[in-house]
Amino acid sequence: MNVSERKTNGRNSNALLWIVLAGLAIIGGGFLISLLTPYLFPAQGSTQAQQVDNLFRFMLVIGGAIFLLVQGVLAFSVIRFRAKPGDVSDGAAIHGNTTLEFVWTAIPAVIVLVITIYAYQVWQTTRAVQPNEQVVGTVGARFAWSFSTNVTPDQFPAGVELSQLDPAVQADIEEDGYITITSPQLHTYVGQPVQLQMVTQDVLHSFWVPAMRVKQDLLPGRTTDIRFTPVEAGMYRIVCAELCGSGHGNMAGTLVTTDDNPVYQGAWLNVHADEAAFRREFLEPETLAVLFPPEDPAARGRQLLASGAYPCNTCHVLSDLGWTGNLGPSLDGVGTRTQRLSQTGQPDMEAYIRNSIRRPTDFLVPGFGPLMPQFNPEPDQPNYMPEDHLNAIVAYLLTQTE
Amino acid sequence: MQHAMEPNLTPQELQKLRNNRTGLLIFQLSWILVFVCLIVVNLQVRGNFPSWPPPGVERVGILLPAAGTLALIVSSFFAHRGFAALKDGDTAAFMARWRVTLALGVLFVLAMAYEWLIVPASGQYSQLFRVMVAFHGVHAVVIGMFLWRTLRFAGAGIYNARNTWAVEAGVKLWDFVMVAWLLFFAVLYVI
Amino acid sequence: MATIIAPPIGAQAQAPRRLHISEYLRWSVDHKVIGVQYAVTSLFFFIVGGILAMLIRAELLTPQLDLVQNGQQYNTLFTMHGTVMIFLFIIPMWGAFGNYFVPLMLGAKDMAFPWLNALAFWMIPPAGILLLLGWLIGAPEAGWTSYPPLSSLFSGDGQTMWIMSLHLLGISSILGAINFIVTIKNMRPIGMGYFQMPLFVWAVLAQAITIVMATPFLAGALTLLLLDRIAGTAFFNPAGGGDVLLWQNIFWFYSHPAVYIMILPGFGVLSEVLSVHSRKPIFGYRAIALSSLAIALVGFTVWAHHMFVSLTPELRIPFMITSMIIAVPTGIKVFSWLGTLWGGKLHFTPAMLFALGFLSMFVIGGISGVMLAAVPFDVQVHDTYFVVSHLHFVLFGGSVFAVYAGIYHWFPKVTGRMLNDRLGQVHFVLTYLGFFFTFFPQHLLGMLGMPRRVSVYAPEFQGLNVVVSVAAFLLGISVLVLFYNILRSLREGRAAGPNPWRALTMEWTTTSPPPPHNFHGDPVPFDDPYGYGTEASAAYIDAIERRFGPSAPLSTERRNMPAAQGGD
Repeated sequence: MNVSERKTNGRNSNALLWIVLAGLAIIGGGFLISLLTPYLFPAQGSTQAQQVDNLFRFMLVIGGAIFLLVQGVLAFSVIRFRAKPGDVSDGAAIHGNTTLEFVWTAIPAVIVLVITIYAYQVWQTTRAVQPNEQVVGTVGARFAWSFSTNVTPDQFPAGVELSQLDPAVQADIEEDGYITITSPQLHTYVGQPVQLQMVTQDVLHSFWVPAMRVKQDLLPGRTTDIRFTPVEAGMYRIVCAELCGSGHGNMAGTLVTTDDNPVYQGAWLNVHADEAAFRREFLEPETLAVLFPPEDPAARGRQLLASGAYPCNTCHVLSDLGWTGNLGPSLDGVGTRTQRLSQTGQPDMEAYIRNSIRRPTDFLVPGFGPLMPQFNPEPDQPNYMPEDHLNAIVAYLLTQTE
Repeated sequence: MQHAMEPNLTPQELQKLRNNRTGLLIFQLSWILVFVCLIVVNLQVRGNFPSWPPPGVERVGILLPAAGTLALIVSSFFAHRGFAALKDGDTAAFMARWRVTLALGVLFVLAMAYEWLIVPASGQYSQLFRVMVAFHGVHAVVIGMFLWRTLRFAGAGIYNARNTWAVEAGVKLWDFVMVAWLLFFAVLYVI
Repeated sequence: MATIIAPPIGAQAQAPRRLHISEYLRWSVDHKVIGVQYAVTSLFFFIVGGILAMLIRAELLTPQLDLVQNGQQYNTLFTMHGTVMIFLFIIPMWGAFGNYFVPLMLGAKDMAFPWLNALAFWMIPPAGILLLLGWLIGAPEAGWTSYPPLSSLFSGDGQTMWIMSLHLLGISSILGAINFIVTIKNMRPIGMGYFQMPLFVWAVLAQAITIVMATPFLAGALTLLLLDRIAGTAFFNPAGGGDVLLWQNIFWFYSHPAVYIMILPGFGVLSEVLSVHSRKPIFGYRAIALSSLAIALVGFTVWAHHMFVSLTPELRIPFMITSMIIAVPTGIKVFSWLGTLWGGKLHFTPAMLFALGFLSMFVIGGISGVMLAAVPFDVQVHDTYFVVSHLHFVLFGGSVFAVYAGIYHWFPKVTGRMLNDRLGQVHFVLTYLGFFFTFFPQHLLGMLGMPRRVSVYAPEFQGLNVVVSVAAFLLGISVLVLFYNILRSLREGRAAGPNPWRALTMEWTTTSPPPPHNFHGDPVPFDDPYGYGTEASAAYIDAIERRFGPSAPLSTERRNMPAAQGGD
């Protein structure tokens, strides 16, 4: 045998070695990856999560069996049926086997049938309407969430008399029968079924809480809804799952400090331990803040911005409220940024800030793109911001000096 | 079957003709789906409204388009008659009949262009109407120009019993224009 | 016999003229030239898309923005990556294989419409340039799915270029598909019925049928999106009474079948490679052939499983059922391929390695596909890295592995030279490992809560992301090995001879590369394209060698083995 021929004949055993090494590397690497994540899913935060996880485990077992079967047959064939060096004969002339082919058509058909039925049952139970749902209005906008709850007078904190209230607030309650509290985070408590009614101000968004195993797109022109029942107290990250533009990745909750004193910013689901804690820590203080709005316009503006009623927090830095957004210019010191006046031809900072909110694309700060929505003065327009809100917010921003 | 129809062709020519026929057929089956797509869009959009046309919108009149549609059907008939004449070697009759086809086709296009212009702007209804009529109109004009070119070539004596594929293709494409329009007509005016 | 001095290896009785490179740069109606033009163009865009992927993975090494300045730039990266890979690499790459080999496998001189064939190809380079120029005028940032209103009201003017580019590519794709259908229907040689066709031809037929049925809907949807962008219509804008789900429905009515447009020819390549390199007839020929058609047709009923978090909840169940059903014909194929290996004589050529790699990776994509079809589970992982992983297991672990297998299998026929085996093995191992560790951990990322299409993510996902990125760089390097192998073998590869794999399909019954009209005289097909293991097939292959000269490497071994000579 000459050299080139030996090379040709040796090819098969070389390749076999490669295949075996590659297989071992995958098994070993897979093991190392498993060390990086002790869980396949985040903690089960809702009743829905338990059912979805069971369905997943069921599919994983069946899928794993099929996976092992296929890889096993492959590995066996590679070793057992490899052509020995120098063997140039053909394999047996087998063209098929009807029984076998019938079996491997029928078995997968039965498997997917079973999975379909199981998945259908899970789907029906996870979507079932629960009694006494807490209904939360959810608004997605580029690039922040806001959640609003209607509070009727019987839910007001003890000791609140309607007659004590500001006449404007009283008129609101008489007209609607409730007041609306808005926050950038979603609050509920263990065991309380939640229903979200979701609308979007601009493009598609998708509301997702990985720990709750629920997700639903927000569709322009439609109201969509989603249900879940939390079973475990804690803070759960809310994520936007549908591409919505440059701040898409920022439309999720962030954890600023990870030590003993974590600060949860942006979109989080706060599941309180029980109803009492929910009322004490969220509902009552927020209700009081709306029932007794600050007299001072600047304080009122601060309250409006902190409530998340407008999606400013994802894009702007504002240390006073703990905002760390980086998509737009910083609002720290915006009240004295007078060099912008000559650039934009505005008479004073009050007019500059006001017009920047009403017509943001006319006042782009160099280096930033046209991302900010235009906040309109009429209720039937998207991104509605009433004049009194604008006045309060401008008053507050003017207090942000260098 | 086709062998019997084309007795004078060499095997290569016959193969080419078979390929052309199959290719054109598949193109027609495929491209008609763009029209079907627009019909599906039309149907889904109307599903979002309580009634169709939407409340407060006037449906365009059916009289002129119905006349245009009739002209199109008749023009297709003349196109077929012309092709039959050409296969019999009667170029003069072919050209006479195709002139009728083209004249009727121009009438149809003018009628629909007029419709396109007069439909009052009214949101989804008018924009769907305009897109569908214009999309069809582009096909009618381009294929009509192909027919006109074929007619000129026939005048120059290019076609004979062995070479009629371009005319056959023209007839089939004109049928495509007619079928596509009948689908649109049903959706735009009837249902 | 013994007195005849065998010609040197690779010397062919009728040596074909090798084409000069300039002949590939101009208009040609020869399907082989067009096939190579398709291949080179696609591979160029493969590199472009690959570089974009490397940039994406470099950005994702850390949870913050560092490589790109803002999310918009990142959005453009993956928008371009997806669009380039799907529309300018995979689909035209199958155009390359189809153009080159369908006529050869049918013993035809050319495609049915050579001129149309050239036209279809020459639409692709301008479309690619149009797409990439979008970067200069305001990049598209709505993803390859381009959902309105992001794509209609927000994305930059590059989105308009994106639409026009896809329009052009869609027309090109339809013209190519019509050509394939007509060629396959009308130009089979005498004696070759539909069920004597090679399975690659079957797969191209199923793909072409899918293209002509699906792509018109893409054309319709793109037209409306274009009008929304430039003519002030509001088909997809709710403010004007439009409907955003309308786009999703039409787009996926095209784009789900497009998944099969991207994978069906790969199934065909796999059937060829597995059978030839395990020296055994394909197991269950009819089942494989007909399951391609079944997949193509059922593929039109499953589109809304891409809308499981936007579609009305009640409508999701029917689409779950159809999506589950489509797993069955796909399973039939996988099991039939395993049956083909069973009892064969496996030769681990690089083509075979990639075919085996396809089988072992594609099955993961199939299993995750069934999981995704289950609505409640899909709701958790929809729009997450789980989906990114699934689609890459199908399109990289499936389509790209099949492209690689096809390149190693047919390079000798196209160029007349063998690719280097050792480099092929290195390429395979790097690809296999790089691929697995790039995409498998993404399943976990998705289930744990990382959405897709984000440039910033929660810090706890960084560990897995670093693994993914490092593996992705390995995968990037593996591609360089392939290109080095191709360029080196073009210059100094061993001569291949007419039939180096001793295969029975008709492309091997002529010289490598084939002469301008493909065959010397009228070729006679063997009555079964996969009739290995019979005296008749060995005699048929030997007759080819006697006529066109010997081939390397299998037949070299054969001639030197006394036992084999006696056996035949």
